[in-house]
Amino acid sequence: MLNYFLALILGAFFGFSLNKAGLTRYSKIVNVFRFTDMAVLKFMMTALVVSMAGLYTLRGLGLITFPNVPATYVVGNLVGGLIFGVGMALVGL
Amino acid sequence: MSNLVQGVRKELWSPYAAGILLGVVGVLAVWLSDSLLGASGAFENLAGMIGKALAPQVFNVMYFNFIMPAGITWGVILLLGIILGGGLGALSSRTFKLRWNTDDAQWKAIFGPQLWKRWLLVFLGAIVLEYGAGIAGGCTSGLAISGGMLLAPAAFLFIAAMFMSGILTAFVVYRRRY
Repeated sequence: MLNYFLALILGAFFGFSLNKAGLTRYSKIVNVFRFTDMAVLKFMMTALVVSMAGLYTLRGLGLITFPNVPATYVVGNLVGGLIFGVGMALVGL
Repeated sequence: MSNLVQGVRKELWSPYAAGILLGVVGVLAVWLSDSLLGASGAFENLAGMIGKALAPQVFNVMYFNFIMPAGITWGVILLLGIILGGGLGALSSRTFKLRWNTDDAQWKAIFGPQLWKRWLLVFLGAIVLEYGAGIAGGCTSGLAISGGMLLAPAAFLFIAAMFMSGILTAFVVYRRRY
């Protein structure tokens, strides 16, 4: 139950950050693929760097263990990504 | 203090500031809930749930039993939170508005203002996108960001492929306006 409550709160902050970065708009998403507005990339990479640094520090301190790491199956990851990109650039979701 | 409140209420933050917020949320999700953020998986959980109610035999497969279990999962609640948080974000900048069509001028310039075009294209595009996410094992948040922060190779393969086809698709849609 607590875990579900946490999911709701974490999700709310997640959605809040997406809204504030403007990623709820078609033009923001598609323009990163046209190299005219790099907000998506700035947002994604900042989040990546912050969470990478945080997680590896916390693991180094012995405070957390990593959950299941997403599986790597090269062809599937690539083919899925190629299909995904078409949908993303077409409708900006 | 009022400067801070004003800053939070702005319609668009610097993407770096918003990214830092998401990064912190990503760390907290692992620390507090032992889970990874993700959005596309929740739709599969829900689709599995609906499928199992309508055609239990068809949906009694490994994918909906083990890989993407049907039902109300942590990810589904997270998705509810995302919708809630997105709404709160819009409310905080007083730009919240219920609408059937998009207000995006760029969309209207490219595809036209018709409501049916928007709905049809978004519906088809979302099918393509969700299908791709299902094959790859996640979407921009669930695989690219959540996987990337654990340094999973899958995440970086996915990001590369996503940008490759995304850039090509945008080029085909925009042609000379690219």
